[in-house]
Amino acid sequence: MSNVLNKTEDIVAKAKSLGADEVVAKTTFGRYRQVRFSNNQVDITVAWNDYVTDLTLAWKKRVVATQIHNFRDVDSNIKNLLALAKVSKENPMFGGFAKGKFKYAASKADKNLENLENPTEFVLEAIGAAEKEAGSKIDSGGILYTRFEDVYLASSEGPLGADCRSAIELSIRAFSEREASGHGVECSSTLKDFKPTRAGKKAGEIAKLARNPRVGEEGAYDVIFDPLIFGSSLGVWGGMVSAFYVMIQMSVFVDKLGKKVAPEIVTMKDNPASYSMSNRVFDDEGVPTRDNVFIDHGILKTFLHNTSTAKLFKTETTGNAGLVAPTPWNIEMEAGSTPKDELFENTKKGLYLTNTWYTRFQNYAKGDFSTIPRDGIFLIEKGEIKQSLKDLRVSDNALTMLGNITGISKERQHVHWWGEADPPSLSPYVLIKNVRLTKSK
Amino acid sequence: MIDEAIVDFTLDYARSKKIEYAEVRAQSQVQDRLTLRNGALEAYVSAVDNGFCVRIMAQGGIGFASTNKWSKEEAKEIVDLAFSYATSANRKEKLVFAEEKGVKTKWAVDEKEKIEDISPEQRISVFTDVDKALATCGVKVVATMTNCMIDLTTKYFVNSEGSRISSFIPKIGAFIFITVAEEGRTEQAYEQFGYSGGWEAFKEWNVPEKMIHNARVLKDVITKAKPVKAGNMDLICGSEVTGIAAHESCGHPMEADRILGREMSQAGRSFIYKGGPYWYGTRIGSEAVTVVDDPTVEHSYGYYLFDDEGVKARRRFLYKNGLINEFLHNRESAAKLDTRSNGSSRSVNYDREAIVRMANTFVLPGKYSEEELIEDVKYGVYMKSFTEWNIDDKRFNQRYVGREAYLIENGKLTNPVAKPIIETTTPKFWTSVDAVSKKVKFDAATCGKGDPAQGVPVYAGGPCLRLRGVYVK
Repeated sequence: MSNVLNKTEDIVAKAKSLGADEVVAKTTFGRYRQVRFSNNQVDITVAWNDYVTDLTLAWKKRVVATQIHNFRDVDSNIKNLLALAKVSKENPMFGGFAKGKFKYAASKADKNLENLENPTEFVLEAIGAAEKEAGSKIDSGGILYTRFEDVYLASSEGPLGADCRSAIELSIRAFSEREASGHGVECSSTLKDFKPTRAGKKAGEIAKLARNPRVGEEGAYDVIFDPLIFGSSLGVWGGMVSAFYVMIQMSVFVDKLGKKVAPEIVTMKDNPASYSMSNRVFDDEGVPTRDNVFIDHGILKTFLHNTSTAKLFKTETTGNAGLVAPTPWNIEMEAGSTPKDELFENTKKGLYLTNTWYTRFQNYAKGDFSTIPRDGIFLIEKGEIKQSLKDLRVSDNALTMLGNITGISKERQHVHWWGEADPPSLSPYVLIKNVRLTKSK
Repeated sequence: MIDEAIVDFTLDYARSKKIEYAEVRAQSQVQDRLTLRNGALEAYVSAVDNGFCVRIMAQGGIGFASTNKWSKEEAKEIVDLAFSYATSANRKEKLVFAEEKGVKTKWAVDEKEKIEDISPEQRISVFTDVDKALATCGVKVVATMTNCMIDLTTKYFVNSEGSRISSFIPKIGAFIFITVAEEGRTEQAYEQFGYSGGWEAFKEWNVPEKMIHNARVLKDVITKAKPVKAGNMDLICGSEVTGIAAHESCGHPMEADRILGREMSQAGRSFIYKGGPYWYGTRIGSEAVTVVDDPTVEHSYGYYLFDDEGVKARRRFLYKNGLINEFLHNRESAAKLDTRSNGSSRSVNYDREAIVRMANTFVLPGKYSEEELIEDVKYGVYMKSFTEWNIDDKRFNQRYVGREAYLIENGKLTNPVAKPIIETTTPKFWTSVDAVSKKVKFDAATCGKGDPAQGVPVYAGGPCLRLRGVYVK
């Protein structure tokens, strides 16, 4: 495939010769497979083959981009794009693309995922595991998704490299009753570390525990968050450390750099490591990715940057470039010292939430929001799960909740689910004090 | 850009196999995406995305495959894949599609001002002008973010039942997010615009005026508004709030794929299900409530004449005079419930499966003026627009937080109210409606569903609603 890298370089050279100041081209050959299932049966199996070169260029600080799907169309695409640049508007904040030659770590993508043509058997294993936990009447649905991408990047500013990215994930939701369900996920970058029965087992366990729910009561609770629902919170905080979202005030971290935003036990970083579904060795400017600790023992240390936002903040890029906004790849919460069972045992009265969806903000800068827990919601009394609950809503503040973290488990899970627990994360069980819950009246 | 010969070849090749059904759907999308931050253009993306997919039903299973490489070899590869997926599904309950006759037609949406005739400079300047207007409106707008989406979509659909449908639909959408700071505090709002048609959309939208209005509302929320004392009271919902309620607590729970469990692990199920307390004919709202979904509203953001299974679109009466009346169907869900598709199958692109979706969901008008609704309220709140909102995945427990809201005292609007909240159930919301105003308004939105996510353009709207004795906090 080195000829693809050569062709990608040719695109950059061509754009430069036609007058572009700076050019980045990224060619992706993507191969994606998905099995969707519900009511314990496969509904549809899907294959996508996608071939695209994302071309971004700057001319006198005018930034324009296009997609090329066929190498035969390169010249006309570049000419059209340059013509667009010449009538476009200057972006005064554009600080150029990353400069320099870089060495990249070798990709550890799993070739087995490239050749996995029909992964239905994993779905059946997960359904079977859920049934084993909660009985044969359980009703399961979900998705199995695989991704294998060959990525080639060339930049007029020096970066040049190839990457291979692989991922597999299974998401299963199991119902033991109409209003008693559990959700499990299994995420990996390699087939050997992918254990679909873990997701099925977890979904089945929660679905079984969730039977006979009653409507919960409003109030402030100490809440243990399962890794899956906490992955949603990590996605919220991780997104808000993107410098772009700070600049447009869609972040609770505006003016918080260097300040205490969480208790000392909290350390979070972005790290697209090889185990992660977001594994990658360079960002969209060709900067090597790395781990970036953004909250260090409770102190906000950095925002996530591309070259342009880094210049504005008088710092260096963190290797998180997307086209416009720096983006987190894979958020890791540092593990705590407490076994998860102890978090439960030490909770006199509280809740255990397992999943959520539909998180919406009134004001991102202030952080006021609500989100709706789904699947198992449990009342904990004297360290034990006493009752399954339903119909509650977390109505709180993102910064307050971050500040109220009081317990973090040793155990962590790599989680990702749909758009709700996104981007992927390495997420522990977490205890947050005084979380406000509301319900319908 | 669509190679119809390749599409036809793909269908012929699929038909050469032992299939029950096959369709090939090609889509070419000329896309412009503009992103502005604080009035400066961050990037202008202009691209053409085109490709095709094949969906095959064989041995009671379904396989789907897509590509953006236009060659016969690639076409054969995706057909082989889709066929192998369908035949290996091993379903106990074999899938069938509800009956449809083949259709041969072409349709297109008119543009009074052709988008292709509008230069990139003009496209950019309409949005930079909005920022200029905000900068001089007397409100401290400290941050703005604007996204503009222009899509010129050509489709060619063929299936093994003889359908040949070509279409062209131009759409323009915009999303503007603002932050206002006054007295050391901030408030935020977004506004979405959407239209199927030409550049004339901008004249109809009045974007600068709308955004200035939003900025002033936020300033009032900071400087003048006070919280309402929580309790039971009357609530007037403005059309924006009516629309979100119609979309979330009528449109979504009436999607038949959700009712049947096909979306159970992502978008969820519905409080409506066979054998449950809510089914066809069950009362869910007052007599005053009729909610429809209608793709045929001209120039609407959710407009189409044939859906992505080639089924003719029509108005669907979801809640009719307060009763659960008609679900949204594609051919798969319709067959499972022994009925016909009502043309609700939509896909965002050639590489996505078409699934059951809303188009334009709204409450039908009543006989009162907005003033008459307010006059008959002794004490209550008028929630004109909303900020935070959400609903659970069975579409039963919802919450809407007001953005522009006023106290109503003795039939008159008095002071701005700070973030009033209604958090209630679907039947409580709709059975509390005692009167509906005459004038219907629409707002553009992007409806999320599917995995991978498929955000489809829709309208949500309706007239003003008056709810009696609901809990507002």
